[in-house]
Amino acid sequence: MTFKQFAFNNVKRNTRQYLSYFLSCMFAVTVFFMYAVVVFHPDIKGTEFRDIVQLAIILSEIIIYGFSFLFVLFSTGAFIKSRKKEYGLLTTLGISKSQLNRMLMLENTIIGVASIVSGLLLGALLTKLFLMVFSQVLGINQILPFYLSLKAIGLTAVLFFIMFELNSLAVVWTLRTNSIMEVFRGSRGPKKAPKFSSFLSILGVCFVGIGYYLAYVSDVYTIFIYMIPILLFVVLGTYLLFTQFSIAFIQLLKRKKGLYFKNLNLLTVADLAYKLKDNAAILFMVTTLSAVALTASGVLFSLFHGVEAEAERFVPQDVSLISKGENNLEAFQKEVAFIENSFKKKDIAFAQKQVQSVQTKLGSGNDYWNDVHVQIYAYSDYQAISRLHGKNVPFHVNSEEAIVLFPEYARQTNRWALPSELTIAAKNKSVRLPVEPAMSNLNSTIYSSFNIVVSDQLFEQFRQTAAESEIINAYSMNIPNWTSYIPETEQILSNIDSEEVYPDSQADYYLKMKDGMAYLFFFGIFISVLFFLAAGSILYFRMYRDIDNDLHHYHSLYRIGLTDQEMRKIATRQLVFLFFIPFLVAVVHAAFAFKALQNMIAASVLVPSMIIILFFFVVHLINFFFIRNVYTAKLKKVM
Amino acid sequence: MNVLVAENLSKVYGSKRGVQHKALNQFKLAVEKGEFLGIMGPSGSGKTTLLNILATIDRPTAGNVVINGKNVHSLSKNKLSKFRREEMGFIFQDYNLLDTLTIGENILLPLTLLGEKVKEMEKKMVPITKQLGIDTIINKRTYEVSGGQMQRAAIARAIIHDPTVIFADEPTGNLDSKSSLKVMEAFSTLNKIRQTTTVMVTHDPFAASFSERVIFIKDGKLFNEIHRGENRQTFFQDILNVLSLLGGNTDDLQTIRF
Repeated sequence: MTFKQFAFNNVKRNTRQYLSYFLSCMFAVTVFFMYAVVVFHPDIKGTEFRDIVQLAIILSEIIIYGFSFLFVLFSTGAFIKSRKKEYGLLTTLGISKSQLNRMLMLENTIIGVASIVSGLLLGALLTKLFLMVFSQVLGINQILPFYLSLKAIGLTAVLFFIMFELNSLAVVWTLRTNSIMEVFRGSRGPKKAPKFSSFLSILGVCFVGIGYYLAYVSDVYTIFIYMIPILLFVVLGTYLLFTQFSIAFIQLLKRKKGLYFKNLNLLTVADLAYKLKDNAAILFMVTTLSAVALTASGVLFSLFHGVEAEAERFVPQDVSLISKGENNLEAFQKEVAFIENSFKKKDIAFAQKQVQSVQTKLGSGNDYWNDVHVQIYAYSDYQAISRLHGKNVPFHVNSEEAIVLFPEYARQTNRWALPSELTIAAKNKSVRLPVEPAMSNLNSTIYSSFNIVVSDQLFEQFRQTAAESEIINAYSMNIPNWTSYIPETEQILSNIDSEEVYPDSQADYYLKMKDGMAYLFFFGIFISVLFFLAAGSILYFRMYRDIDNDLHHYHSLYRIGLTDQEMRKIATRQLVFLFFIPFLVAVVHAAFAFKALQNMIAASVLVPSMIIILFFFVVHLINFFFIRNVYTAKLKKVM
Repeated sequence: MNVLVAENLSKVYGSKRGVQHKALNQFKLAVEKGEFLGIMGPSGSGKTTLLNILATIDRPTAGNVVINGKNVHSLSKNKLSKFRREEMGFIFQDYNLLDTLTIGENILLPLTLLGEKVKEMEKKMVPITKQLGIDTIINKRTYEVSGGQMQRAAIARAIIHDPTVIFADEPTGNLDSKSSLKVMEAFSTLNKIRQTTTVMVTHDPFAASFSERVIFIKDGKLFNEIHRGENRQTFFQDILNVLSLLGGNTDDLQTIRF
């Protein structure tokens, strides 16, 4: 048996022991590779991304690599340290430190290469699956065709090979084999009691509280200032929550003797304190990853889901046509007729209204309101258009006042504070009137910044005296159930050929938003799912690694006389805590992020965010049951 | 009155086709209430197998074990666990204390599992820990106390719920002679005060000399049985005599080689 054979046999014959380590390495490769496949996809490279998107992609790739690096470093360290006893045996047989190092490096290289190869295979498979599911969910037929670039394979293989070598070097370097006795005892020595600092526990709760508060009160403008502090507070707070507060909480629980000494609680709680302490860093990592995944996909899904509502908010009229100049009326009528015929041909029901408005300018001492182009509408016309779209006009106008219509998105800012009086001036007529603000039911147009509603008499006076070019023809169309006819609407409107007629529609806005968001959504969900999978797998590998120690513990319990069910109950309860506490915390984190999002957009984020949370919950639950079954199946072997 | 009766116990290891090894062969045993029984024998004689079967951790190939009038091996696995918890106490060579609990919590564990009230538990714990001399360490963790203290804590745990019978497997196996003396003295005193039936397997003639009767096993069969008189020292000598007889048997060596 040569030295190489010895190392190789070590790996080959200890499959069970190496399996969890191998799987976690393979998983890191898979994650990175899936991302690389998407990044190096010719369709993605061909897309005209703006610099910022390109940057974001490269940045997330670096994050994934960094994350994988830590992940592998962590698994390697844990794995090599869990075998200390074996090294003790080898040391007594006279292995030298350099030989031991060589053996470890050799073993790690074998596992590294094996996990790279299998990771690439699994990655290819999962990528195909992911693309299929994603296209299905999004309703886009095949967002990206399946394609494996050699570059992605090469990059993954090379980077990970370097990573494995570096990591095992680092771990071997830090492996101290002080005395054989110490090594012999390995990680089996009795563990010290978990300790906590009450100051840090309270600090953790405060940090999370501050982060939540900031998220709760933020709006479109403050969110950019608050974002970084929120992130810092919540992440730091979460860390303290898991390392300090959880232990503090369990110590408090122990003081309630009536509860603590009741049946299985004693065993469950006492053991849980150690489990939480041992796994605090992992639970923190899992929580952060899950929170990021939940938040990112929830926000993106909400935005994506809210496109319809946003379209109705920014474009109140389903279809509008507008054209300037009385002389253009004939051409305008021709287009209107063409559109109406086209809709009729396609059997799309609609209602319409055509009116005229007058372009004027505002005059005011306030700079914001001076020299601003506006369109004035007669009250009855405005009312008719509003009714056409099923909306009410909540105000009435007499001839001594005017109403300035604000698009909804402009209302939230103070910049457009309305002065009490404004001068409305056309070429041949000018009036000064007190003004009031109201919500607009009209699309914004290229001719004016605002629309103003005046009384019918006043409007008539303006229209009579208006110059030819001041008259604006406006046509408005309501399409019941417009979301069902988006492609048709878009196609008809694109056939308008007159240069003086400007169409606008909800369908157009909707399509532009949806197209613009598709890739963003794709990347966001993709990374989120990967993060979430990573979080789940970290828990899984941790459990798998600890199983041997736990079996020892459960064997002690068995000898005392615990039944099968009782042990399963204890194990299940502990797993529930380890699994669902991070998830719960992540959901609360995400909920506050959704609240911050809700402060910014019109559409309700409640339903889409619930869907996302539910989706991740189901994935998590499946993961939980799987791991619980593996775990309890192992427990049975004890008996 | 016999608390524990074993009839015709046999245990065969190995498959039916392959090499079979009879660890126990038609073994009979009866233990009276309050008796302190020691079981001795060379390695491979079947004494640990016997203890495991009596303690219901292992099942016999043939034969019955009756404890308190109940045929224990006819019970279901679940009922057996509960029976073990209520009617038996265990003391192991490796103490088998849980690292995650304090010494006191370890001692109280059987009562917790039986669902007793906290006040009752503490009332029961105080006299036992005092008798065993471990009342000062009940708030310590397992890694903070010595082996002898851990074993005494294990004794306290085995006895706190007043079990019908206590099984001890090499209780002094991991201890030095001074700790052994302390542990065995405490153990036998407690046994006398509480009148708890005790079955102890040991290699150590010194530990065995604390029991009232010692049986010797060889090749899965009863080899000899001696009773203790007034003096522990003479009993110790008697045990050594039997052991030398056991060890000096040339046939014994042959069977081991075989």
